[in-house]
Amino acid sequence: MSLFDELKNLGVNVDEGMGRLMGNASLYEKMLGKFAKMIRDSSVKSEDFDCEDCTELIEKTHAIKGASGNLSVTPVYAAYTEIVDLLRSNQPEQAKIVFDKNLSVQDDIIACIENHMQ
Amino acid sequence: MDRDKTILIVDDIEINRDILEEIFKDDYKIIKACNGAQAIEAINSNPDISAVLLDLLMPEVNGLGVLEEMNKSGKIEHIPVFLITAAESQEMLLEGYNLGAIDVITKPFMAHFLKYRISNVIELYGYRNELEQIVAEQVERLNIVNQSMVETLATVIEFRDCESGEHVKRISRITKILMTEVSNMYPEYHLSKTEIDKIASSAILHDVGKISIPDKILNKPGRLTDEEFEVMKQHTVKGCDILQSIPDIMDEGIYDYSYDICRHHHERWDGRGYPDGLVGDDISIWAQVVSVADVYDALTSERVYKKAFDHDTAFKMIFNNECGVFNPKVLKAFENSIDKIVGKH
Repeated sequence: MSLFDELKNLGVNVDEGMGRLMGNASLYEKMLGKFAKMIRDSSVKSEDFDCEDCTELIEKTHAIKGASGNLSVTPVYAAYTEIVDLLRSNQPEQAKIVFDKNLSVQDDIIACIENHMQ
Repeated sequence: MDRDKTILIVDDIEINRDILEEIFKDDYKIIKACNGAQAIEAINSNPDISAVLLDLLMPEVNGLGVLEEMNKSGKIEHIPVFLITAAESQEMLLEGYNLGAIDVITKPFMAHFLKYRISNVIELYGYRNELEQIVAEQVERLNIVNQSMVETLATVIEFRDCESGEHVKRISRITKILMTEVSNMYPEYHLSKTEIDKIASSAILHDVGKISIPDKILNKPGRLTDEEFEVMKQHTVKGCDILQSIPDIMDEGIYDYSYDICRHHHERWDGRGYPDGLVGDDISIWAQVVSVADVYDALTSERVYKKAFDHDTAFKMIFNNECGVFNPKVLKAFENSIDKIVGKH
């Protein structure tokens, strides 16, 4: 199965994401690769949500939200939109629940992208 | 599109910078900055930036900080700034608009729309900047023409007065030196360089009313009688009448200064001048400065009714109030700038 078909099955809105990049499939694929690397590098973990000062976590999750939105990685974008809102309203425990619930789909999407990049 | 134009992309998220770069790189040169401080440096060191795509939320200096710096440097007038935002804060967006942002790009963005919106604005700004440049050049040319008309008029009048036209040019130079010193010493007068230049130009017409004075009085070799002096004093008021009849040969600022200087350059600090008998600061600072410049130049120049005094004598006469009482602040500025004045004289 192609990368785009697999991503569609995982809930990624591939058509919209490609549309955002003027229908340029190779550019979209290239940016998905960068997105996967970004998620790995930022390495947000469940225990990060036990923070007293969550400034750094807000910056990291805000970045993931922005990038996933621009590429229409819908499940990740939806989760991080909620996470950022909860963190900004000083509810890290609630944000942690949302993060944990969505971590597996995020991991599946990243693994899918990475498999096709190899 | 225009590959000699540059877009500055400012976003702390690398992937967003890369996406924007991909969208615009075929049509524009791209510079990228990952925070506000880098953006400010890029804007200040690249004169060719045609647009800034500016993320609002960034660590250290955020997008609003960049806009504030662009306001301070005046670059916001010539470079369109697009705010990139996920619209978290309405207040920030409003502040961004207040600081001069041209438009808001909401994330996630659509490349096609983005490309059209930004390219259209860059094109419009290009036309606007070009038009401003053309207008500025034409205004400058017009000012030069107007200035030479004013100088010609003043010189014609001076020839009647047996002068060569150099007197008005010297008055203009001395006025500029004195006004600059007054401005440096007394910031409360709020005199910008542009205003000082206008005042110096306006000083040229201070004696335009002399054209209405009969030759037998204007060029009388001896002392004027009381009656003759009354006629001579009218040159201040007649000068204003002449200026009122030719307001279009100078811009509004120069006309206002010229009118005031023409009428009041014979007023004195103690109220014993003419035509209105104004006292102290009721006389504008520029009219006071032209008074000193005029008296100094008259004293140190030969006239039909007197020989030229040397500089030291003229200086003492002015400070001893032998030619009327002047504002002590203007006299102090005169004292401080005398070397420059003598050098120019």
